[in-house]
Amino acid sequence: MLATKEAVTGASIKKAIESRDGPMLSSFYADDALVRVIDRNNPPSKPREIRGRAAITTFWDDICSRAMSHRVDLTIAQGDNLAFSQDCAYPDGTKVFCAAMLELKDGKIARQTVVQAWDE
Amino acid sequence: MARPIATRYARSGDVQIAYQVVGQGSLDLVFVPGFISNLDLHWEDEGYSRLLSRLSAFSRLILFDKRGTGLSDRVDANALPSLETRMDDVRAVMDAAGSSRAAILGASEGAPMAILFAATYPERTRSLVLYAGYAHFHKWVMDPERLQTFIDAAETNWGTGATLQNFAPGRLDDARFAAWWARFERLSASPTAAAALARMNAEIDVRGALASIRAQTLLIHRRNDARVAPEASRYLARNIPDAQLCEISGRDHPIWTGDVNRVADLIEEFLTGTHAPPDTDRVLAALLVTRVSDTARLGDRMWSERSLRFQETLRLLVGRHGGRIADQYGDVVVSRFDGPARAIRCAAALRDAAQGIGIASAQGVHVGEIDARGPPSGLTVRVAVKIAEHAGRGGILASRLVSEIATGSGLHFVDAGRLALDDLEGPLALVEATSEQHLEPACRSRTPAAAEPSALTARENEVVALIADGKSNAAIAIELSLSEHTVKRHVANILTKLDLPSRAAAAAFAVRQTGPDGP
Repeated sequence: MLATKEAVTGASIKKAIESRDGPMLSSFYADDALVRVIDRNNPPSKPREIRGRAAITTFWDDICSRAMSHRVDLTIAQGDNLAFSQDCAYPDGTKVFCAAMLELKDGKIARQTVVQAWDE
Repeated sequence: MARPIATRYARSGDVQIAYQVVGQGSLDLVFVPGFISNLDLHWEDEGYSRLLSRLSAFSRLILFDKRGTGLSDRVDANALPSLETRMDDVRAVMDAAGSSRAAILGASEGAPMAILFAATYPERTRSLVLYAGYAHFHKWVMDPERLQTFIDAAETNWGTGATLQNFAPGRLDDARFAAWWARFERLSASPTAAAALARMNAEIDVRGALASIRAQTLLIHRRNDARVAPEASRYLARNIPDAQLCEISGRDHPIWTGDVNRVADLIEEFLTGTHAPPDTDRVLAALLVTRVSDTARLGDRMWSERSLRFQETLRLLVGRHGGRIADQYGDVVVSRFDGPARAIRCAAALRDAAQGIGIASAQGVHVGEIDARGPPSGLTVRVAVKIAEHAGRGGILASRLVSEIATGSGLHFVDAGRLALDDLEGPLALVEATSEQHLEPACRSRTPAAAEPSALTARENEVVALIADGKSNAAIAIELSLSEHTVKRHVANILTKLDLPSRAAAAAFAVRQTGPDGP
């Protein structure tokens, strides 16, 4: 298990996402964390589920390997819940917008739901 | 399914490479196509569209046309680019799409390119999937002599779809697919470019690169692949470190033909560790395929009048039997019903209507799952169309399953032999729908006394044998030096004597009497 380099806060998430730091992002999750992604291909009744830190590490490695820009605009924290919105752009101009809701447990992300929309 | 997908261009040296990006998955997947391709056309074929939809459901799928093909810049046919140059187009497209690292899927001729990419850019290769791939063209695809024959044929027949037999022999009888394939040839490459591409592919030998592949590799090959011998993938499995080989059933070579879902399942499972739950947007339906034809040689004007009249009647009758017209092309109409008995009753009404109008009909009924949305497509439709093609004039053929589901409906069926289809594991048992005879069992065997061939005269036996060969009355008349009218009379007598409902049933009867190898 990777040592948590930083506490999971809106600021540390913003820094990791904007610098495309996959290992840092992965270190924020609990071992049995669950990430659910809802988008055009994965509707709310059948979201894509990524379970466990190993799979989540692959997920972030894949996303962070993309030569694209990410900007985290807004983060809201309330107790063990955290939410943020994110604007992303690919070099060819394709834009993506994501909104994420996080549940923290013992200082780690236990559950995350991402809703995303893409230019197509 | 046509989808409005943006086509963009990536600069690779002096050449512009057309590419498309589709899907919202977290991993990037680059599809390196085979011999020829055309980004716009792929979405118009049912199988291709399904493959791309499946792959883009879990990935950000990056598609491109290799230089010299499809929507990408043409190249000088006399100064063809090396495999290395073409491989570098993959990198250029990935750069343009912002993909630093991707899973690479190489199909057929795309496989050697993918192999070279994975060996050259290990840091940019997340994983590698090779479908019907090979490392050496002459060893596993064609020897120089067969290649020359292929090139000679391509130079004269290019654009007619003539190469289909080399790639997907199982789809030769699929008129719609054959027409798509001809367009695929024309819109992917010119005749000279096609011959040049074939010559260029013949140079492929990437055996030396296999050992340096570091990415995890999945190999998929159909056991009876018509174009590339499965031994090609077995060789790859032995020589690529950490490669797993999955041999699956099937004969047609293109990755978008045959059991596309099976291929997509394997790729998705390999790349994500899981695959999509089975498609739940499918419903059970009975399909009726109605073909009409101008066997009486009415002439264009009279035929089009009668055909139009029949189409009007058809719309009325299909609606009256609780069905709806699902698709129509040429003189073929596909209608969809909730149950097979309705489809059969509608078929009987349509046969009578066609007879009244004075045109020939032949119909097929099959029951199976189809996509709930859009015009029906896929295996169930292909089988129904094949059954209709097999039906004789005025005949209503159905799969045995139809007669089994229709038990208790009062409909009557007789056995009508078997139909071998490439898409299916075994031959499909057929039945012929007969007129309703309420006092007889629902599925009767023909009475042996009436069904003796000896009940026929020598001439009638000759006629029945020719019917079994699939010959028309006109063709039989020429062969036996009789008038067509006389042949018609013989056919009517044969059906009466044998108590058979149609030519198709007589043909099936003749085949049963003589066995498949003749008398």
